[in-house]
Amino acid sequence: MAGQVITITSGKGGVGKTTATANIGVALARRGQRVACVDADIGLRNLDVVMGLENRIVYDLVDVVEGNAKLRQALIKDKRLPELHLLPAAQTRLKSAVNEAQMQEVCGELKKEFDFVLVDSPAGIESGFKTSVAPADQVLLVVTPEVSSVRDADRVIGLIEAYEKPTPQLIINRLRPALIRRGDMLDTADVLEILAVELIGIVPEDERIISSTNKGQPVALEDHSESGAAFMRIAQRLMGEQVPFQMFAESPGWLERVSKFLRR
Amino acid sequence: MALVSFKGTREGLSITLGEGVWRDVLNELAAQLGRPSAQSFFHGARVLLDTGPRAIDVIELEELIALLSQHGMTLTSVIGGPNSQDAFEQVRATIPPPPETFEVEPTAEIPAALPADTATAMLIHRTVRSGQRYRYSGTIVIMGDVNPGAEIIAEGDVIVWGKLRGVVHAGASGNDAAIVGALVLAPTQLRIGGYIARAPEERGRARSVTAEIARVREGRIVVEPWSGL
Ligand SMILES: Nc1ncnc2c1ncn2[C@@H]1O[C@H](COP(=O)(O)OP(=O)(O)OP(=O)(O)O)[C@@H](O)[C@H]1O
Ligand SMILES: [Mg+2]
Repeated sequence: MAGQVITITSGKGGVGKTTATANIGVALARRGQRVACVDADIGLRNLDVVMGLENRIVYDLVDVVEGNAKLRQALIKDKRLPELHLLPAAQTRLKSAVNEAQMQEVCGELKKEFDFVLVDSPAGIESGFKTSVAPADQVLLVVTPEVSSVRDADRVIGLIEAYEKPTPQLIINRLRPALIRRGDMLDTADVLEILAVELIGIVPEDERIISSTNKGQPVALEDHSESGAAFMRIAQRLMGEQVPFQMFAESPGWLERVSKFLRR
Repeated sequence: MALVSFKGTREGLSITLGEGVWRDVLNELAAQLGRPSAQSFFHGARVLLDTGPRAIDVIELEELIALLSQHGMTLTSVIGGPNSQDAFEQVRATIPPPPETFEVEPTAEIPAALPADTATAMLIHRTVRSGQRYRYSGTIVIMGDVNPGAEIIAEGDVIVWGKLRGVVHAGASGNDAAIVGALVLAPTQLRIGGYIARAPEERGRARSVTAEIARVREGRIVVEPWSGL
């Protein structure tokens, strides 16, 4: 059976797309899924750094598209998890080096061999975004609970609908329970009320993400962090399992308020 | 290409600007409008401005609006690049409404019946999201939410069966009798004809639980519970 292409995108930059791609990839691979992570952020590649695979890059996505390397040669196998692979981006090229049709072709090839093809999309709504969304069977939209991030995410949902791609599912990242309790941060229900799309996961703010990013050791590799556990739940939901949503200091009754947006 | 060209449309007069120095364009327009034969022809016209490749700024647009109003003409919409549209959005509230072309009951308790030329409606059956913009010459009815960052501009009324949180302009061609109704009326900015109202500064949850309707009464926009039309 062919796998699925899942593009991880956002409206605002820097909200955690790359972090989410690496960790969901790790979590899926830990569950025995065959995973290929594709860095579509050409020119600003960093999925390899977050995954700790930078020193193993020989060929990249642009080499594959331009015929300098076979897909097999460019794919890096993660030694920690045999099912996990990375197709890195080119560091020295522009977004325009890969077009929509080429991206579709590469992802179509990968889909034959992998259960999940995760595409890390660049920030913004320019051509690179469109290219990375083009092959998607499913789109995950990362948003932080801030007015500006939600506004930009809303814009992106409209664009994705206009491209006739499936409506994205939402990852709310960097939720800070203490701020929500003080009423200083939008909570899950506030975000969902505006965006009105299905929620697939909530990831709390976690200092370990910063240190793990620097070490190239995604938090989802181990079991002891809250954020890692949150990414694991997202992976399970992607695999079709039913996993209850965790409370992070939301107001009482939030589950009822948002229940129609929760994935079943 | 000519510096300015004119075309009559059903909506009014369309003026297209060519490339060239702004002074020359403006002088050319003044000369064309000032011709004796043009005077009565243009008076009272609603003008649709097409800025073509030119990015018009606020100051230029204000000069143009002043020139038009000297000739009894009203700018009602701008098409062209995003900069030109932005400039228009910034100044449009300052444009006096065009001369009335139909009778409006001044003290109507219930909103005046829709004038015939706005009696058609556009139905939008979805969430209108940030960056999306609808503009229609009649009434707009939305079955869904209008999110912050979205824009609805209707020459007639705007009715939202959902939460209205974006920018809305009813009676956009100067009809102060237009209304805006929503199940949750919490727009970022609300305009009716030549009037404008902004959301209160504090950003909180929508304050109202009942459907509300906004209309112009005694020279300002008032919001009342929707007790049926
Ligand atoms: N849940 C979290 N808790 C703490 N820090 C986080 C969390 N998620 C992401 N970060 C941090 O936020 C920063 C930006 O994350 P990341 O690079 O994943 O964002 P991005 O959306 O891929 O950015 P870009 O748009 O530039 O590609 C990183 O320093 C990352 O470590
Ligand atoms: Mg990134």
